[in-house]
Amino acid sequence: MSYCVNCGVELDKTCKVCPLCNTKVINPKQPPDTAAPKPFPSLEGHAEQVPRRDITILMTVILATTAVVCGLLNLFFFQFGSWSLYVIGICVVLWIFFLPLFFSAKLNPYVSLFLDGLSIAMYFGIIAWLHPGRGWYVQLAVPIIGIITVLFLIFAFCLRYRHRSILSLAAVVLAEIAVLTICIELLIQHYYQEPLALSWSAVVLTCSVIIDGALITILRRSGLRNEVRKRMHI
Amino acid sequence: MEKKTNKNRATWYKLDLSANVYPTLQRKNFSSVYRITIIMKEEVDPPLLQKAVDLALPRFPAFKVALRKGLFWRYLEPNDRPGPFVQPDIVNPCMPMSFKANNRYLIRIYYYHNKISLEMFHSLSDGNGALYLLRTITAVYLRLQGHEIPNRDGVLDIHEEPDPEELEDAYIRYASSRVKPARTQGSAYRVRGTKEPFYTLNIISGIMPVDKILKVARSYKASITEYLNAVLLYSLLEKQKADHVFREKPVKLALPVNLRKFFPSITLRNFITMVYPSIDPRMGEYTFEEILVQVHHYMRYYINNKFLNADITTNAATQQSPFIRIVPLFLKDFVVRQFYIRVQDRQSTAGLTNLGIVQVPEEMKPYVERFDVLMGQPFSARTNCAVVSYENTLTISFASSIVEADVERIFFRKLVSDGISVKIESNRETED
Repeated sequence: MSYCVNCGVELDKTCKVCPLCNTKVINPKQPPDTAAPKPFPSLEGHAEQVPRRDITILMTVILATTAVVCGLLNLFFFQFGSWSLYVIGICVVLWIFFLPLFFSAKLNPYVSLFLDGLSIAMYFGIIAWLHPGRGWYVQLAVPIIGIITVLFLIFAFCLRYRHRSILSLAAVVLAEIAVLTICIELLIQHYYQEPLALSWSAVVLTCSVIIDGALITILRRSGLRNEVRKRMHI
Repeated sequence: MEKKTNKNRATWYKLDLSANVYPTLQRKNFSSVYRITIIMKEEVDPPLLQKAVDLALPRFPAFKVALRKGLFWRYLEPNDRPGPFVQPDIVNPCMPMSFKANNRYLIRIYYYHNKISLEMFHSLSDGNGALYLLRTITAVYLRLQGHEIPNRDGVLDIHEEPDPEELEDAYIRYASSRVKPARTQGSAYRVRGTKEPFYTLNIISGIMPVDKILKVARSYKASITEYLNAVLLYSLLEKQKADHVFREKPVKLALPVNLRKFFPSITLRNFITMVYPSIDPRMGEYTFEEILVQVHHYMRYYINNKFLNADITTNAATQQSPFIRIVPLFLKDFVVRQFYIRVQDRQSTAGLTNLGIVQVPEEMKPYVERFDVLMGQPFSARTNCAVVSYENTLTISFASSIVEADVERIFFRKLVSDGISVKIESNRETED
């Protein structure tokens, strides 16, 4: 049996360090037994995810009924225009938005975000089909929705795998805002067939670069980072 | 009102007085779950253990239940779904327990080599009730192995109908005080530490001989519980000193008291209340002996049927108030959660529970090594301590959701310096 030289407690024969003070166990007569079973298992448990079957069925029924009833009303009673397409479209968008709630354990968050972008593009498509003219859907709506979706995907990736601190996430959001404003300005100029040049988005870009620069400096310098955390903790 | 079937079994149960609080504290990363482990002398046979669980659990109708929501209160409903199923043990016990997962069972049973562990959601029962279930499951398991184990000393007869008193809310029966003392205690020092990521529960258990610790406690003219309370208070005071806090606060322990010792109840459901032994370092530096004297007198003064009756009457009066009863559940949940976060959780520095000496039938003793108890994941980032003794082995287990093990270190070093030999076991990651 080994004892911790600092704490004086007897240690389990599988212990390589004292759990109380992290002092290494060095006992030439009895080195830590790596073959013996440890006092606690190594298997990590995870709480069981519960499929939300009831809420899935309820939401699907409500949204499907709304869509069908509005479609029928539009077909047989209130026959002015194709107004029911707006309601049907929004029902589809809402159902797709609720997918993570229905299948939280199985649905890949990136797929879910991509489907959200696709559903919004579809809804704008309905509006464009009902109000045709000047190609705004293809030249403006689709690219902007596409860019926003990609930016959301990047943010989700950072949130999941990269830096999770508020400061680093704020830096990512600011950079994304700068990219988005530049893209929007360039797309608008392209739509109106004007020469491509930055104007108002350059102001947003400059502000974002300054703030991002400050944030990155704070993140890189551990002293600054701890100071900010200390003073700004919630 | 519990409704009776023709087999004298209730079709649903109201939650008892304490049980109402625990579901309101439920978060994605927290459930009020505790664990009791029996360490056998031989490897556990999982299929046989499953059989034992299936045979023993119907004897405990208050545990074979699912938690449901009503409009004004939650309630427990008998659960006839398959399970609960025994499973291999995990490194992070007492993980959150979704009310809808695990076929809606609020208990989990694990096995690991020679250990059988029972985890229970606190709304079902306190440690005493869970201990009855674990001992009965173990006795049935040993019988299936061919051993003769009688039904006594904590082992219930699985063939008899449960006594209605086992299922009663004993708080309501015994709360009879004409005065209701204030509920709040004032805020206490809170241990600071680095919060561990989700799904991490650090456990450090100290195993020691009962006779040694009893001898030391006697030398201080105190009981084992008083002595351990004093050592934990001493450790927390040292930790506060080392933290160099801007403003010192009293160090307080939340100590659950088993009310069955003071009121003649055989209920298997919750029947505990909290007392808060404390030391205020702002009054001056306390020596360990002074802490122990303070704890000794506090416990002798407060832990008696009169004070405890007054305490449970306060709680019962809140629950029985017609104004509170008609408030919808979601509002109750919000208010109780806020009260817990802002008042209750802040009025103690750490929790310490002592299950006392576990009795088992004499015929079962050759197969049982010892018992362990874990108070479960703390609600806020801190450490909780649980004590249980069996024969000549006393186990003290700390469950903590912070990285630092300062309190545990000071605690066990104090025991060692008092001449008690301590063996340490932990699930903390070791150097590879």
